[in-house]
Amino acid sequence: MTTTPVALARDLPVQRVMRAQVDGCDLAIWRGISGQVQAWENRCPHRGMRLSYGFVRQDSLACAYHGWHYNCEAVCHYIPAHPELQPPASIKPVTYSVVEHQGVLWVNTRNEAEVPEFPEDSIGIRSITFDCPLSVAFEACLAAQLSDEAGLSLSPRQLGDAPLILSFGNQQQADSVLLLFQPSDLANVVIHVLAHHSYSVDGRIGISQWCESVRRQAELNHEVAMNAGMECTHE
Amino acid sequence: MTIRFYNYVLSGNCYKFRLLASLLAVEYESVAVDFHPGVEHRSEKYLRLNPAGTLPILQADGRVFTETQAMLVWLASKHDKSGAWWPEKNSDAIVQVMQWLGFAARLSATVGELRLHSMLNKDIDAAAAKAGAIKALRELEAHLVQQQIRGEQWLGANSPTVADIACFPYTALSPDAGIEHDAFPAIRQWLYAVRSLDGFVTMPGIHELHEQRDEQSPAAETKTS
Ligand code: FES
Repeated sequence: MTTTPVALARDLPVQRVMRAQVDGCDLAIWRGISGQVQAWENRCPHRGMRLSYGFVRQDSLACAYHGWHYNCEAVCHYIPAHPELQPPASIKPVTYSVVEHQGVLWVNTRNEAEVPEFPEDSIGIRSITFDCPLSVAFEACLAAQLSDEAGLSLSPRQLGDAPLILSFGNQQQADSVLLLFQPSDLANVVIHVLAHHSYSVDGRIGISQWCESVRRQAELNHEVAMNAGMECTHE
Repeated sequence: MTIRFYNYVLSGNCYKFRLLASLLAVEYESVAVDFHPGVEHRSEKYLRLNPAGTLPILQADGRVFTETQAMLVWLASKHDKSGAWWPEKNSDAIVQVMQWLGFAARLSATVGELRLHSMLNKDIDAAAAKAGAIKALRELEAHLVQQQIRGEQWLGANSPTVADIACFPYTALSPDAGIEHDAFPAIRQWLYAVRSLDGFVTMPGIHELHEQRDEQSPAAETKTS
């Protein structure tokens, strides 16, 4: 099982919780006031409420349902209905390995998270969700034209195999734009988009718009393929 | 002069007015209308006031207003001394604000309708409403990403305006219509910023920020028990 990017770090400020999916695994990812990030199974050990509906108070994640508080060690330390009770140590959410590296949060649901090597000096543009399978999104990105700020065309190359990283570059600027693929489930992909820090504001906005063009193309390709598939089964 | 506001608590459009009135600390008289199940807004009494048969309705300055976005502009232009919520002196800002006031109507027509379908079984083309809702939310997300890149966090200006209030409710309520915010990180940041405003009020489906509520900390409660 590989390490997967789940968010741009700046999209999870302190005292916030968010939801992410990795290969069909549902996660609550949260950051306490001290800045540390946790990635847990999105299921409260009490009655199974999604922890991503909860809220972060100081360095604890509180469940939205009955307010049980879990600290950074994933220990339940406070039950509002029984404030005097010391909760048993066996009440623990399932935890996963998560690291924050170069502005990206990476999770591994099986082993220690190991961040793949990828170029430094890039900054997050956005995380964008495509409603199509990974292979369709990946192909659309490979086929899409992208140029740098001077209008020189950039060509993609794949860094590593999994997790999938596409790097767009040319002789002027290697690794201008990076796409980090997060297969969230069979039907959706999140792509975390980064650009070299030398891009101007307009250049960064251009990359954001480019992502939307690629998404339109990918989702259209997917729709066409689905319709073709339906016709085959009808025959 | 009294401000009379005809209100239904579960309506996102009514909430726009309640929210901005609270942010601007404007007092008004609220009249509860039995929208569901009573359909009171379609009764002759209300149709006489508003032939369109919609809520909310505002009576103020001897006039009747039936368009929510106009009510927001009325509130801000009459009651906001800072001039920031309706920045009429700044032509760049005001056209942006108009842009997103117009967009708010699309959110009501898509997310709002889909929500009524989910909650009250309103008979609509749900698939079309859902496609329209996702399209609108994606546009909002794209705009907020661009604002982030420019170092801005609000829709139309460098401080919150009536446009943010007009777009806030149905964006925040989209989970009621079956569309979560997980795929929209910039929208999440913006919703949080609105909820952090001084004077923010809630409605069913839109909660206050627990993390900012001044509640006894767990440690303190343990000590007092
Ligand atoms: S389900 Fe989480 S506290 Fe009860």
